[in-house]
Amino acid sequence: MIKLIEKIEGEAKLHFSFKDKKIDFVDIEFLQTRSIEKILEGKNAFDALVINPRVCGICGHAHLIATVQALEDCYEDLKVSNKAKIIRELTLNFELIQNHFKWFYFTVLPLFGYKQAVIKAAYPSQLMSKAIAVIGGQYPHNSYAVVGGVVSDITHTDLIKVEQFIDETHKFFEENLIKIDGKDIIECENIDELFNKQGDLSQILNDIIKNDWEHLGKSYDRFIAFGENSYFTKGKSLKTRRFTNITIDDIEEFSSLNSYAKNVTFKDKYFEVGPLSRAILNKNPLIKDSHNKYEDSLVSRIVARVYEIPQLLKHSKELISQINLDEPSYIKPKISISKITSSGSSAVEAARGSLIHKVNLENGIIKKYDIITPTQWNLSNGTRANQGISQKAMIGLSDEKIAEIVFKSFDVCSVCTTH
Amino acid sequence: MKKKVKVLWITGLACNGNTHSFLNYPNLEQFLDNFEFIYHPILESKYTLEDIVSFTIDCDVLLIEGSLSPEIEKADKKLFSIINDYSKVVSKIITVGTCATFGGIFRDSEYENISGLHFDETLEVDTFRKIKNKTISISGCPIHPELLVNTLYAIKNEIALKLDEYLRPKEYFAYTIHNGCTRNEYFEYKVDNHQFGKKEGCMFYDHGCQAPFTHGSCNKILWNEVNSKTRAGQPCMGCTEPTFPKSNLYKTKKNMGIPANLPLGIAKRTYLTLAGVTKAFKINRLEKDIFDD
Repeated sequence: MIKLIEKIEGEAKLHFSFKDKKIDFVDIEFLQTRSIEKILEGKNAFDALVINPRVCGICGHAHLIATVQALEDCYEDLKVSNKAKIIRELTLNFELIQNHFKWFYFTVLPLFGYKQAVIKAAYPSQLMSKAIAVIGGQYPHNSYAVVGGVVSDITHTDLIKVEQFIDETHKFFEENLIKIDGKDIIECENIDELFNKQGDLSQILNDIIKNDWEHLGKSYDRFIAFGENSYFTKGKSLKTRRFTNITIDDIEEFSSLNSYAKNVTFKDKYFEVGPLSRAILNKNPLIKDSHNKYEDSLVSRIVARVYEIPQLLKHSKELISQINLDEPSYIKPKISISKITSSGSSAVEAARGSLIHKVNLENGIIKKYDIITPTQWNLSNGTRANQGISQKAMIGLSDEKIAEIVFKSFDVCSVCTTH
Repeated sequence: MKKKVKVLWITGLACNGNTHSFLNYPNLEQFLDNFEFIYHPILESKYTLEDIVSFTIDCDVLLIEGSLSPEIEKADKKLFSIINDYSKVVSKIITVGTCATFGGIFRDSEYENISGLHFDETLEVDTFRKIKNKTISISGCPIHPELLVNTLYAIKNEIALKLDEYLRPKEYFAYTIHNGCTRNEYFEYKVDNHQFGKKEGCMFYDHGCQAPFTHGSCNKILWNEVNSKTRAGQPCMGCTEPTFPKSNLYKTKKNMGIPANLPLGIAKRTYLTLAGVTKAFKINRLEKDIFDD
């Protein structure tokens, strides 16, 4: 049977095949493509800074940061001030946080039979959008990061505003997602502490137990993350073994027979990307505990994503304290982009996982551009012999409604996937 | 219970940027007390997309996001046929964003005849000419949430909005982006020594800023209630216009040293005279960093 999955930043079709009343294969079909990579060919390199945020309305800022880093990688000794690097990391953090709130309140709640909490999704998302806008002018779709730094010349006043938005978002988190008496959730190291508490996250976790879903959604237990910054670690993880020595050269992207989306493997294997992967690679105690008890199931995936909110808020405050406003925001490259014939690549952690951009320039003109988005990793449409991450997680279920829950737990970004 | 205005939000080739920009509307709760989405790409709705394409469900306003092509299908029905069906029942149609209005960035995607609903860049498109009298364009990549919501309230309150040649409400699009930019003094006195990463200087002369000839209210109705691109230091990219995106966006196109696109309504001769006069000024306050002694 075929099920149209709606409200996933677009639509996708799941073609279920059953054997003995259990799902034995799912063919994932994305229905559109926008050919952004082709659109970029022949354009001036810097125009990619304007076009690429338009890959995605919900994680376009990650595409901006990936673009600027890929273009900067084309230069041999380009200087970017520490201040500009911190500012870019901050605005990207804020985008991740707004995504996480939207996912939880727009997507996760309805999976458990609740109504979407529109205002609870919108209010903290708006705060984070404001924090980006104070620095970058607007959200979504700014192009404030340019080769050599950022265009903004922020002041102490701007940073005070940003800190207030962070504090208010943190307050919202504590009052709504989870409240643990006398303890900041960041200090929790035991997943059991999150059950039977006040708050929407705890409610969902209790529902998972009530429905006997604590082992739902397991896949290969293989994780990967390529985006490295002051918070995230690059590496891959197989069960409990971690490897940090990985390179994007081992990534392969190839067409899927029945879908507009392309598949992505690392050394011929499918890997899960996203907050759970990042937390595993960061050896986060709470998520490690969840992973020990519930492996790569719904529980770990949901907790990892929600738990990233307070972590990134806290880390953003630390980053702000490290900013030296006397440093330049922008250092003009010594060589004009029109003289650059080279190739470059970048990897950043977007809300849903690793985002990779690759570019070839000839005298500052884009010859080739390649984008690999997080949803391509998690939603790769593999074969029966070598199934993608989400396909594997749906196998053996007897109800396609439950399969939809598993599918959506990966947070599908259809627009990104069909760039 | 008061009757809510029923709205259908349908998407063509899009990044969903308008959908997410709309969610930044500050008084969303009040808005949802007055309007109800019969279908929306993210918000819960009474009907599914499959319902929407299978029947023609009663509604008042049709919102279209994304570039359009006769090839595009939604839930196995041609988008053009969905628009045709619903345009008959609604009282108003809004093209939400530059893609739906003019074709926008995805005009160059690999589908047949991609354009906006009534315009292919500046050219008129015939396909939906019959429903042109129902349409209002809110261009922008993305739309400013207040412009969309205020327009929906105008429809609800049966206010006849004055529209420009591209069906954009003059209330927002009679202005230029330049209007209200905090860098205006540098523009007025032609202080052209801007560098990225500086709060000083105007970006019109060298950095490709299109604000003086782009229609919109970005510096009048601020983004996310706090800022705008040009205030932050990013040149205006002209995203509300039929020609978006042009190319070489961070550089000002010039002829013989004069910007090729002059401020809206200013003749070249007048501009040159004005520029000549401002050369006589030497304003120290604007020549140095604004916080320096």
